[in-house]
Order: sequence, then C-alpha cells, then structure tokens
Amino acid sequence: MYSNDFIIKIDSLNKSFGKIKALDNLNLEIKRGELLGIIGPNGAGKTTAIRITSCILQPDSGNVLVDDMSIHRDQIKIKSMIGYLPEEPNLYERFKARDLLRYFAELYGVPKNRIDDRINELLKLVNMSNRADDRINTFSKGLRQRIGIARALIHDPKIIIFDEPTMGLDPATAHNIREFIRGLKGEKTIILCTHYMDEADSLCDRVAILNQGKIIDMGTPEYLKSKIHGDIILELKVENPNNIDANLIKDFDSVEDVYIKGKLFIISLKSKNDIKSIINVFNNDILSVNTKEPTLEDVFIHTIK
Amino acid sequence: MKFTTITRWEFKETLKSKKFLIIFCLQLSMLFLMIFVFNAFAANIQSDNGVSLTPSLSGFASLDIDDQGHLFTKYINPSLINIQSSNYNTALQNLNNGEITGFVQVPADSLNSIKNIDTINVKLYLDYSDPKRSVISDEVNSTTNILATSISNSWIDSLIPQNTTQIVVNQQSTGQSLQIQLLTNAMLAILLFLPLFFFGNLIIDSVVGEKEKKTGEILMAMPISPSQIILGKILAVEAIIALQIVLWMIILITMGFKFANPILIYILVTITALPIIGVTTIISAYSKNYKEAGIGITLSYIAVVGVLIIPALTYLSVKPLAANISPMTMVMRILSGETIPFWQYFIPIAFILLVSIITYWISIKLFERDDIFFGPRPGLIRLFLELISFKKIKKIR
Repeated sequence: MYSNDFIIKIDSLNKSFGKIKALDNLNLEIKRGELLGIIGPNGAGKTTAIRITSCILQPDSGNVLVDDMSIHRDQIKIKSMIGYLPEEPNLYERFKARDLLRYFAELYGVPKNRIDDRINELLKLVNMSNRADDRINTFSKGLRQRIGIARALIHDPKIIIFDEPTMGLDPATAHNIREFIRGLKGEKTIILCTHYMDEADSLCDRVAILNQGKIIDMGTPEYLKSKIHGDIILELKVENPNNIDANLIKDFDSVEDVYIKGKLFIISLKSKNDIKSIINVFNNDILSVNTKEPTLEDVFIHTIK
Repeated sequence: MKFTTITRWEFKETLKSKKFLIIFCLQLSMLFLMIFVFNAFAANIQSDNGVSLTPSLSGFASLDIDDQGHLFTKYINPSLINIQSSNYNTALQNLNNGEITGFVQVPADSLNSIKNIDTINVKLYLDYSDPKRSVISDEVNSTTNILATSISNSWIDSLIPQNTTQIVVNQQSTGQSLQIQLLTNAMLAILLFLPLFFFGNLIIDSVVGEKEKKTGEILMAMPISPSQIILGKILAVEAIIALQIVLWMIILITMGFKFANPILIYILVTITALPIIGVTTIISAYSKNYKEAGIGITLSYIAVVGVLIIPALTYLSVKPLAANISPMTMVMRILSGETIPFWQYFIPIAFILLVSIITYWISIKLFERDDIFFGPRPGLIRLFLELISFKKIKKIR
C-alpha cells in the first residue's frame, strides 16, 4: 500500500538515451511538504529524473507515483499538480511578461476570474510588477528566471520542481531566488536540483546524491556531513602534489580519509592532534593551509570519487 | 478543448509579430507584381506582334465544320483546334458521343451572300458539359470578328459612295481570345493556391521553434496532450491562411479578375491548406532545426505542387474523372463556368480529408516521442516501420 506520507514515489526507474544509461533502477521517495535537494555531477541523471516525474519524458521501465497517480495513466492530472522550472528559463521572447503568465494560466486551467489577481500577486512576489508590460526579450537572465518562477507557480501547484534555478545568476539575484524558495518551504513539496552545495545545504530538508543514474546516498545535510567521519577537514594546497606520498598521511591515527583534488589535499581528521605532524610531511611544498568543518561539498566529493 | 487556447494565442501573437507583417506585405507586393507582369504579358499577346503562348496545345479541342464555301475554315487557328469537315447529322452525332467540343455550320451560299451584300448566319453548336467549349466559343467569335473585319475592309476599298449597305455577321458573344482566357484561368488558379505555400515558415516557427528556442520543454509540462498542442498550432496557421486567402481574393477581384463562384472557390482553396499544413507539420515535428525543416519543406512542396497542378492540366486535355482529385482541377472547372455535378465535389474533398487525417496522425505520433524532441532521434526507416506496424509506440507525454 502506498504510504500517504509520500507525495512522490519513484520506483525502479530506468531510462537510456541510445547507449547512454541516464537512470539505473532509480528509487526515491519524497514526503509531503518536503524540500528535497538532488545533487550530482553533470550527466548524473538529475534532469532526466525530474523530467520523467513531470511527465515530459517516458521511462524505459519503472514508475513514478505522484499523489497516488501513475505517470503512465494520469499524465494530465499529474502535470496539473506540478510547477516545473527548467534549467534554462526559455520563455516566448515576443510575449510581454503579463501575457506570458496569462497564456500559461489559461493552459493550466486557472479560472478566468482569478487570472488577473493571480498574475498581479505573483509579479509582486517575484518583484516584477514594474516590468509586467515589457517584452521577455528585454529581460536579463535573472529577470527571466523570476518570470519563469512566476510561470511555474501560476496555477498554485502542490509540487514545484526547480532545475538549477540559480545557475548563471549573479550572487544577489541568486540570493533573492534562494530566499524566495525558502519562503515556499513547508507550504509546497519542492524538488531542487542544484550544483551549488551551499544552496542545497542551506535550503533542503533532505539531499539525495545522484551519480550515474543511481541514488548513492541520501539524508539530511547534517546526516550526510556526519558521514564524512572526521570532525575537522584539513586542506593543504601544495606546489607539487606528485612529490607527496599520500600513504604517509594515512598512517597518522587521527586521519580518516585523504582526497586529492589537483594541488589540494583534503584530509578528514578525528582530532587536531596530528595536524602539525601532517604539515611536516609536506615539508616546504605547502602554498596554503586551511582547517574547516565538513560541508556538503566535502560529502559530495567524498561520495562520488 | 485547451487546443483552442493555443490556437487563439498563436493566432494573436502571429498577427502582432513584425516578422509576419513584413512577410505578409512582401507576399502582397508579389501578388501585385504578378498581376502587373500578367497584364503586360496579356497586352503583348493581344497586340499585332503578339507571341504564341500555346505551342504545345495543338489539337487541344476538336471542332467539326460544315463550310462548303471554305469561307470560315481558313481563318480558324489550326494550331489550337483540331478541325475536320463534316455535315450537320454527323457533327451532331459526334457532339453527342463527346468526340468533338463544337460544330460550326456556315451556309453553303455564303460567298453569294457576300457578293449580294447579304447577311450570313453562322451557327455554333457546343457541348456544354465540356470545359473546353469556352475555348471553341472564343475562337469562333474571334474568327468571326476577323472575317467581318476582312470583308468590311474590302468593301470599304471598293464601295461606291451611294452603295453603303453593310454585311452583318451574327455573333454569340465577344470575349477574350483563346490564349488570354486559358492564361487567365490558369493564372487565377495558381494565384489562388499560391498563399498555401507561403506559410511553411509559420509552421516551422511554431513547431521547430519550440525545439530551437527550447520553449518546448515548458509546453510539454503543461496539462495538455501532444495531439492538442499540434491541433492548436495547426488551426492557428489554418486561420491565418484563411484570412490571407480572403484578402488575396478581394485584391484579385478589385484588380478585375472574375470568379464564377467565389465562396465555393474560397472554401476549396482554404481546405486545401489542411493537408499541406499536415505535411509541413510532419517535417517540422521530425526536424532538429530550421535549416533541416526548410530543406524538407522545399522538397515536399515540389511534390505537393505536382499533385495539385498535374491533374488540373490533365483534365484540360483528356477529362479523366480521377483528375478531380486535385482541388485545383475543381477550381479551374468552376472558373470556366462549367456545370459540375454535385457528387463530383466529394472527390477532392474526400482526398483532402484523407490526406489531412493521415498527416495529422503521423505528426501527433512524431510529436509524442521524446526521442525526437530530446534525442537521440531515430532514423526514418525505423520510424516508418514503427508507424506502419501500428504497434503501440511509447507515448511520451
């Protein structure tokens, strides 16, 4: 029996594009009102998974249940429940912002007597009221993204899917959009696909790490960070990483893991006891030293390496 | 019924688009230019130094002549009309059998009548079921004119001032010369069907544009089926074409062209747009980009023009019933004033509907496939085999 706690249940989903397997037996459950982050490297299958959930793509096998409805049977009903913001905010260039929202409101079947109020409400929400009668082709990417968000919310959906909503935006606009998403938290069920670990860390209730079409780890950001084992991350940037024997570092008792990323050595430590000795291993080759607590990025790098 | 929302918005936004208005104005300019060129050409033909437009129309229509004095026969244009000497009974039998289009009877004593300055009554019998009758009629009228002018001129030269009695040549009617009438009907039919081929770019923009501009993804996420999306877009283009044809016909009528039954012609031309849009939509649904769609549409339109024109030209010469499959044949028949049996209208309409249904079905099947929209796109052979097998293709959206 399908649990009522979960609004979306992805079950054994497979999808290939030619010889490339985008999703490999993907399973995922999303609770009502949850903000779930999906992180993963390029080509991990994030966009494919959300396109299938939005009934834009058909899986090769498997199923997705959205509020107990199957993507194989109830596509129109499922689409009515979802507000989808694709990675690229491609909108009809020749439309004015207000007309674009009206067009999609009509397609979503928003009652005609509510359309104007809903458009004004959303334009205000995304702070675009003053540009309502301007054409889309006069907007910057940030403004387009805001109109894109308003478009995705025009029918007041239960579920919102954001695919890289802050990609390519300047820090201030990205911050505004994050705050906007934070404001929706709890009110709507949200799936957020992102490359930005701090975004997922700060916004999401749970984070799923997707790689090669599979969920390789999932949990709250805190839980995932705790799985890095160490309490401290020591980062050393060296001149010539090939001169360093990583095994010498691993021999220290407090060292739990060593990961090399270019010239950067990322070392997970249980305690600070051996930091001085570890630094000595690098002799005079060190360019910089930094200690920090584990972040989701560390988890991501650690998990997919 | 959400496709009507797409139709309404696409129609409205297209009419508001500057790009469309520029194309629309260019099309109208082209129409004016064609009419201007046509008029200049027609004037040239009518002049003494006229050129022959119809070198390949030898034996185009058959005419029996009973002209024992050989007064009339030598003036008929033999390069256009197959003339044979006959008598009244044989000629009428030939007319009944559909072997000839007309019969001209010139009185046996016509030469004496001329000498006596008397009236000559030339009788013309026509097969009114034959669309070529107007060609015969015009040619006979034209010949009568030539004959009358020739006789009058010789009289003027020889007349004594007190003897001013004039010969009278009876005429059924006077109209354009054969070449001009043929040219007018052909030209009119071509001009009427021309707008149907101007709107390929609208369909490309509407369907391929969703892929190229990547707006299709959000459209696919709407609670509306692919068949409704396609139907909405097709109807918008059809509405624009219908509007264009109205303007086109008004301009032609204003410029002096005459239509026997303008409403019927309008309906026939407008519904002919449906299968053409269907073919264009198939190509647009399959194409990756504008360039590919442009090449595909150019090639397919050559075939479509062939399907329209070849039966129409065939009908002019041999009248097979199958030629009515082309709506252009029907329009040319209407333009020539022919009485067409009601049931024959169903031939082009049935053909149009059949092709429309097939092309829309294929367009929807292609549009439903995510591999065509998001890639990797399947090959044409695989697609064809899947379509003809009628097996349930995975519906994508």
